Amino acid sequence: MQNKTKTIFLVLLASIVAIIFLAPLFWMFSTSFKSDIEAISGGLNWLPQEFTTENYTYTLLSQGLNVPVLKWMFNSLFAGITGTLIIVFIDAMAAYALARLDVPFKKILLPMFISTLMIPWVITFLPLYMQFSNAGLLDTYAVLIFPYTANAFGVFLLYQFFRSFPKELEEAAHLDGANKWQIFTKVVLPSARPIMWTLGIFSFMTIYNDFLWPLVATSSPEMRTITTGIAIMQQGSFVSSYGKLMALTSIATVPIIIIFLIGQKQLIKGITQTGIK
Amino acid sequence: MNTRKSSFTSALFVLPYFIMFMTFLVVPLVYGVYISFHEWDLLSSDRPLVGLKNYIALFNPDSYLSSLFFEGLWNTFQFVIYSVPLLVFLGLGLALLVNSLPAKLRGYFRTFYFIPYSISVSVIAIIWLWLLDTNSGLINNYLVKMGFDPIPWLTSMPYAWISIVAATLWWTVGFNMIIFINALNEVPGDLYEASAIDGASAWQNFIHITLPSIRPIMLFVVITSTIASFNIYGQPYLMTGGGPGDSTEVLLMGIVEQAFEQRQLGSASAMAIVMALIMIVVSIIQFKVSNSTKKRGANHAE
Repeated sequence: MQNKTKTIFLVLLASIVAIIFLAPLFWMFSTSFKSDIEAISGGLNWLPQEFTTENYTYTLLSQGLNVPVLKWMFNSLFAGITGTLIIVFIDAMAAYALARLDVPFKKILLPMFISTLMIPWVITFLPLYMQFSNAGLLDTYAVLIFPYTANAFGVFLLYQFFRSFPKELEEAAHLDGANKWQIFTKVVLPSARPIMWTLGIFSFMTIYNDFLWPLVATSSPEMRTITTGIAIMQQGSFVSSYGKLMALTSIATVPIIIIFLIGQKQLIKGITQTGIK
Repeated sequence: MNTRKSSFTSALFVLPYFIMFMTFLVVPLVYGVYISFHEWDLLSSDRPLVGLKNYIALFNPDSYLSSLFFEGLWNTFQFVIYSVPLLVFLGLGLALLVNSLPAKLRGYFRTFYFIPYSISVSVIAIIWLWLLDTNSGLINNYLVKMGFDPIPWLTSMPYAWISIVAATLWWTVGFNMIIFINALNEVPGDLYEASAIDGASAWQNFIHITLPSIRPIMLFVVITSTIASFNIYGQPYLMTGGGPGDSTEVLLMGIVEQAFEQRQLGSASAMAIVMALIMIVVSIIQFKVSNSTKKRGANHAE
């Protein structure tokens, strides 16, 4: 009996905490369907008094608005997907070779890669800016994709997986006359799919959500990402238009929350595997 | 011959990542140090070598650079000190709360507390800017309804720090919770069984079994939270603009300002390098302190 009261109390407490975590998101969605005037008039309406989709049509479709919100969304998704594919593929190749093949200088390469995980990124972002500037590649997709591919996190994560991967499958394929590349693509990669999803979700979230780097490395309205674009709108023409701002933040948030909910299990696996072991 | 050819093809597997690693990580590391030894104006092609001058200016109390750096550092330190203990203990608290729930509810609540972590800092900052708006924000609307005066959350102290810390907690505490949930689940169950025979209370269990068992994870969370808090930028940049005055102008904002508004990349690079060194030293100190207290309390472990 006492235990039951305790459980009810804990569930109640957890629910109140859950409201604190979810209410700001609900308020964001709710505001995005209010007119700017209703939003700013300071009510406590958790649902709009007058439901309107004008914030969405205005931010996405209006000719009057001279910023390309849909292009920002495209840029974020394109950079996120392309960067993620590159990261997963090159990290998997490197990690597999370091775990299993006779790579020269293997004993130096792996510690060198992993030790860079401890370097604060603040050291690299100004020289990276200069490198892209020298190459004339600022404000292009290159800045939105390539800097993320150098991170050693994925090599570390996949290395741990390949090291504990049973050798028998590779040996059987080797006896069948498969070469290294065939073994890698036909035997190893298919069995590494779950861990590659983990890395993929991590990478996509990192690229899609990044803020400071795309803010300094892009400058034209066409090359902004959604996360930098909305920040510029907040400081510019939407400064107190909270209905429209919340429509923009909702547009930016929905895809990443969907991906998060789908990939949550993989994400948690990645956090616990690299964090602790 | 055959092995040489074999190791050549093996090297090809590593090559694509190696190229990215060199181009976008190692070269910038070296290049950053090189830039910091120059007077590096973004708009001028004349970039004379000045040796340690940028570093000396950082530590010369009369220079503009020094006040920019140390005010930013002090503000960043304040944020670290306010946020890290809360990030660690509330993360642990949420993990304990989730683990105490009936098994079939745990997954849902874990997801609820973890969702904000998936969102970009710019979205987080703008949502909280709206919630904390002085005249029409939700939080002040409730305060006024309950008969209080509205609070200028983002334009006066100490509220500006409270707001930035609250938004940050809401955003990332779920990450620490995930790590703690995993750590709690790995504490061997027979430890609790043994202490149940001794008639230990839940609190005694927590102090004598749970805390010592999750100690290494605790250190990991403290260090990663400290590093993350050092890197704060988006929240004050968007929520307070560094204000009121310069009181929330954090170090990274100072570096960006020096690099892209003053266009002095040389001194900005020196600031960034010293900031990174400070972060590394702080991590090492945390590691050492934790290890030395561990030795003193070694009889608790295992």
